[in-house]
Amino acid sequence: MFRFVFLAATLCFAAATSAQTITFGASVQLTGPVANTGRYYKDAYEFAVDKINAAGGVKVGGAQSKIALKLLDNQSDVNLSVRQYAQLLSQDKVNFLLGPFASNFVLADSSIAEKAQVPMVQGGGASDEIYTRSYKYIFGTLPAASDYFGSTIEAMAKLSPAPKTVALLYADDSFDVSVAKGTRELLQKAGIKAVLDQRYSSNASDFSVVLSQIKSANAEAVLVAGHETEVLNFIRQAKSLGVSPKLYSFTVGVPSADFRHALGKDANGASGMTAWLPSTSLKDPWFGDAEAFARDWKAKFGYDPDYHAAAGVAAVEAFVKAIEAAGSTDPKKVRDALAKVSFDSLYGHIAFNDKGQISLPQIMIQIQNDKVVPIFAGKDFINKLEYPLPPWSQR
Amino acid sequence: MQLLLQVLASGVLLGGLYALMALGLALVWGVLNIVNLSHGALIMLGAYATYFLFTGAHIDPFAALPITAVVLFVVGYGIQRGILNLVIRGPMFNTLLITFGIEVILTYLAQLWFSADFRAINPGYAGSNFAVGGITIPLVQVISFAIAIGLTVAMWLFLLHTRIGRGIRAAAQNLVAARLYGVDPKRIYAVTFGLGAALAGVAGGLYGTVSQINPYIGGPLTAKSFAIAIIGGLDNPLGVIVGGLCLGIVESLTALYIGPTYRDVASFGILVLVLIVRPSGLLGRTT
Repeated sequence: MFRFVFLAATLCFAAATSAQTITFGASVQLTGPVANTGRYYKDAYEFAVDKINAAGGVKVGGAQSKIALKLLDNQSDVNLSVRQYAQLLSQDKVNFLLGPFASNFVLADSSIAEKAQVPMVQGGGASDEIYTRSYKYIFGTLPAASDYFGSTIEAMAKLSPAPKTVALLYADDSFDVSVAKGTRELLQKAGIKAVLDQRYSSNASDFSVVLSQIKSANAEAVLVAGHETEVLNFIRQAKSLGVSPKLYSFTVGVPSADFRHALGKDANGASGMTAWLPSTSLKDPWFGDAEAFARDWKAKFGYDPDYHAAAGVAAVEAFVKAIEAAGSTDPKKVRDALAKVSFDSLYGHIAFNDKGQISLPQIMIQIQNDKVVPIFAGKDFINKLEYPLPPWSQR
Repeated sequence: MQLLLQVLASGVLLGGLYALMALGLALVWGVLNIVNLSHGALIMLGAYATYFLFTGAHIDPFAALPITAVVLFVVGYGIQRGILNLVIRGPMFNTLLITFGIEVILTYLAQLWFSADFRAINPGYAGSNFAVGGITIPLVQVISFAIAIGLTVAMWLFLLHTRIGRGIRAAAQNLVAARLYGVDPKRIYAVTFGLGAALAGVAGGLYGTVSQINPYIGGPLTAKSFAIAIIGGLDNPLGVIVGGLCLGIVESLTALYIGPTYRDVASFGILVLVLIVRPSGLLGRTT
């Protein structure tokens, strides 16, 4: 008799506290040519999920649910990533989707999420193209590609003597074409002339011709929108051809530690931008603040996080806040909650505009003495910009 | 005019490096009739070998090249003796499949061992250059060019005048007759493939000093070497110099006058043109 009561009580207790597990699915580049940046997202998603679970998980309808993560490796192949997202939805039946890295992947994969009407929050694609399709279920934590050079061009206007001529180079993929389009308008508004405006094939390894053209056109500043491998080659070849513009800024590479490590001293002087710096002023409900997050990240993974990592964590946090606000795991309700979400996190203030994209200013940064130094964020110079850059022979 | 001369100079230097990359492939293809699709992966391994010798043992990259060549020779010898020998008498399709498989395996092993982080071989003199009549010439690329031409000529002389070289050519021309003369095909094939791999390794080491290294650089380099080998012709090792220079100059001029996105269009366009007009290559025999 007693045993029966005990058993019944235990079962009732278990039923009352048993909560569902919420599963997030993502297809990320773990191998293949972009695995170098893809791994930031795997680490970010796992780091965030572990931290949130340790703090109790997600509160849904009175019960605490744990989050599970299902990650697949798309081998840097867009077609495979599309199939994997379809598989995550139909076979693995995940609740929500987290995005891959790179705009061209997000462009393709987001269509799967939209069609299935399952929300996807992605921290890997910034191209404006992603948000021009009137998709309702896609949200992004990377700010608009067209604005990447915004703070840089504003800073340029405040320098003396301000650069009057610019060479604009960009790779031929969705993100970089978006950046170039936006940058052209920004340059025009600032009254700066683009003496060279060239598009090159992704994975180009030889920039000697374009560098010779930059030298011959006497471009004072160079803006490059490309991939880390191309930017690395560009800088090395600029040195070997003796091309030293007064300022050069790149959309990728500068914030990441292994890029600086690969270039060594030659990285000094390169400018870039980031939407995120690990400062103590960015408070977070789970991680304390951005600086503590960066410390814990480095301790766990052995490398410094950059804005890709923070954007990935922000995606997970946005979902958790939205699920709690919606009080359910119904995709439509969570989608509506995501559209209204607004909170401060280690990544900054997270809120999506009516197209689904976050709006954060880019901070212009420069590598000085092997360290990333914030330079300009819209108002005044935070630190002095090393300008004009001395010729290579004098560095 | 200055710009044109600078671009031509860059094109020639680029062509020299291209020629060295293609030399190993052309040797193996012309002699063994093996289209080595893993050639790019061997270049990549050579680049990593030189990188680790430079950063780990602090050996100057140019001094590390002979060591890299030996290491890759052993790897190539092993691949040929152990794997390729099994399919060498079979249809060519089998060697294409196997070398493709080797390429995939080598790439993923490199990703596992070395991670996808990119490396660059950055000796102190990596960016130095000198000026000649207003044109800037990067030092490392000039040395690479000289090594490339030197090795190509050395390979040509080796095939013409040494015993092993003649054995290799004999085995390619008529295996039965060569065996009657005492040529051991297994050993000769393995030595040839090893030489091809060694040359790929040296090209990789030089590539790492002017560009960057990651496990995935192999694929595009195989395609480029392939194009150069065909353009230059497989019968004569000097053909790769012609092919490489041709490609380097055409690519640079295309980038200058038409646009950088058309580089690959130009290089593969030349390939198609050569195949139509002179299929045995620019330096090939026209029979």
